[in-house]
Amino acid sequence: MPWRLLRFALNKKHPEPRMFTSHNKLKSSYDVVIIGAGGHGLAAAYYLATEHGIKNVCVLEKGYIGGGNTGRNTTIIRSNYLTPEGVKFYDESVRLWQDLSRDFDLNLFYANRGHFTLAHTDSALRTMRWRAEVNKHYGVASEVVGPEAVKEAAPMIDLSCAGHSPILGALYHAPGSVARHDAVAWGYGRGADRRGVEIHQQTEVLGINVQGGKVKGVNTSRGYISTNKVLCAVAGSTPRILKMVDVRTPIYIHPLQAMVSEPIKPWLDPILVSGSLHVYISQSARGELVMGASLDPYELHATRSTLDFVEGLTSHMLDMFPFLSSVKVMRQWAGMADMTPDFAPIMGKTPVEGFYLDSGWGTWGFKATPVCGKTMAHTLVNDTPHPLITGFSLDRFSNYALTGEKGAASVGH
Amino acid sequence: MSQALASSPVAEIAAERLTDEVRQAEAAAVLGMADVSLDVRCGCKGPGTVAWLDSLDVPVPEKFNSWLPLGEGGRIARLGMTEFLIEGDAVVVDRITTTPRAAGVYPVLHEDAALILGGARVNELLRQTCNVNFAALNLAERPVVLTSLVGVGVTVLPEQTAKGLIYRIWCDGSYGRYLFETLHDIAHELGGGTVSPQHLYA
Amino acid sequence: MKIMTCPLNGPRPVSEFFYWGEVRPMPDPDSCTDAEWADYVFNRNGAPGVKREWWCHTPSNTWFIAERDTEKDIVLKTYFYQGDA
Repeated sequence: MPWRLLRFALNKKHPEPRMFTSHNKLKSSYDVVIIGAGGHGLAAAYYLATEHGIKNVCVLEKGYIGGGNTGRNTTIIRSNYLTPEGVKFYDESVRLWQDLSRDFDLNLFYANRGHFTLAHTDSALRTMRWRAEVNKHYGVASEVVGPEAVKEAAPMIDLSCAGHSPILGALYHAPGSVARHDAVAWGYGRGADRRGVEIHQQTEVLGINVQGGKVKGVNTSRGYISTNKVLCAVAGSTPRILKMVDVRTPIYIHPLQAMVSEPIKPWLDPILVSGSLHVYISQSARGELVMGASLDPYELHATRSTLDFVEGLTSHMLDMFPFLSSVKVMRQWAGMADMTPDFAPIMGKTPVEGFYLDSGWGTWGFKATPVCGKTMAHTLVNDTPHPLITGFSLDRFSNYALTGEKGAASVGH
Repeated sequence: MSQALASSPVAEIAAERLTDEVRQAEAAAVLGMADVSLDVRCGCKGPGTVAWLDSLDVPVPEKFNSWLPLGEGGRIARLGMTEFLIEGDAVVVDRITTTPRAAGVYPVLHEDAALILGGARVNELLRQTCNVNFAALNLAERPVVLTSLVGVGVTVLPEQTAKGLIYRIWCDGSYGRYLFETLHDIAHELGGGTVSPQHLYA
Repeated sequence: MKIMTCPLNGPRPVSEFFYWGEVRPMPDPDSCTDAEWADYVFNRNGAPGVKREWWCHTPSNTWFIAERDTEKDIVLKTYFYQGDA
């Protein structure tokens, strides 16, 4: 059998096209330049090409496709947020997710698992009732359940959490899902590439040419490009790019770490999150436990890992699942999260004409990938923010009109 | 005030884990811990504190993070620059708490859990629970260490007694049970346990 | 384990410390404009570089200044704040 497979691989009648076209040179100008070939940037390129017919687009990437926070998150997709703006926005995203594998003709391993946010205190339970009501009002499946429902979904759990943080209930969100995160970037990238969008990896942005308050071009490590429209979708590198155009924002960068265990037999179907214990956990299709905690406690523009993180996370993990004590941690990593004071993103136009932001995605950006691409493509084409993102504009801060999305990331605030 | 409020924040756990009377001396020699939360103590701080304590004839440790002995087996610890913890000497504590404060002196409430640890294996326990290397301290300088023990902010004061070296440890009372329970479990693993304080100092 | 040196308590693991952000001069709330005040309240110097930051050694509640390279995660020096506090 391997012999036949090899013959097939060498047969010129069945060439397997490369996923992406590689381009030797940058063109001298593009209609739109997108900085950052992560999920968000590539999704915007994809929707520019598919929905708006704009194909003279270039995506610049300092590293490699999906190598930033797209490939560093814990792959959770949900829409049970707290504010009306948030719920509507993420719900649209979840809807888009469900059709993506078919759109791309690429298996994203999108798996609907159900998502429990555990409550260990009365006040947490109160907030969950509130969240459930907001969610239901907007047609998002979300309900408060008792500890017995948690036990039924995850029989291995210690409901008392080692005796010191007993689980009083949970917010259950049936549409909660996981997907293979790097495949999302590949799917959008390939879709955009096939329609004529150029993706340039290993190409760093060194400066942005702004004249009279308008974007004129981008200076890269591989030469200068003229353009009137730039979309910045670079997560943890956002402040570096903003410095080039002299735009001030509240964004600050803290690392967010995560880790996976060795693969074990499937035993955990749902996604579990505990704000009090600073833990979130799901089991991947490969059997690894994918685990995360809260943000690192201080500003840092690097993706180093720490032992403090593993110690803290595993000790809380064992409170919930004592039987995991002999399971090994296989690897750990970090991403740079671009945080905002109200835990909502910063999207849309900026004081610089032609410079658009898709940022402030902190610890909650993966699930929003499709809807961000779609709404940012609309915003770029019409030069006016898509109705779903008007609540996320940069000027909400100078107007003292924050969004207050406390349902944002799973844990940590 | 009721008796209940005057009890130690770790009274229940200390009673629960108390070693049998007949085995206490043996446990204390290996690694003993005891609850001394009910010892009298008070605290004060502020820029005028050194001069004020001087005027009350209370000895003041000159160096930051050091301590001096008082009568009745008591002590005064200088925590940082201008904060003081006075304990164990009822006469001095009474003088401080009944004299009107001078300008620049503020009271510091102490609702502490206070423990003592001693015995041959005490440094092994500290190595497991704390990042400070206590074995490297120069005890002649009477150091006081403010650090974190199993994640709890603590003040640690090493003291040489007739029965050997002991460590006095204070933490906020609300963390007391967790700290006591965690340290007890380790002490027990190492062959020690909870004992009456007189087994650790004479 | 990252080591931070408290000017009073000496070198300790960074887990004993609390980070309170960059030292930022406050504009006079009586005379500044709303825009200047909003800039002070919300906006941050988010780009990497050497920054002067507030840190606190929590077991002793000692506040001090650390000069830190936020790209390389290197603490350059620590000292007490000089001036009105």
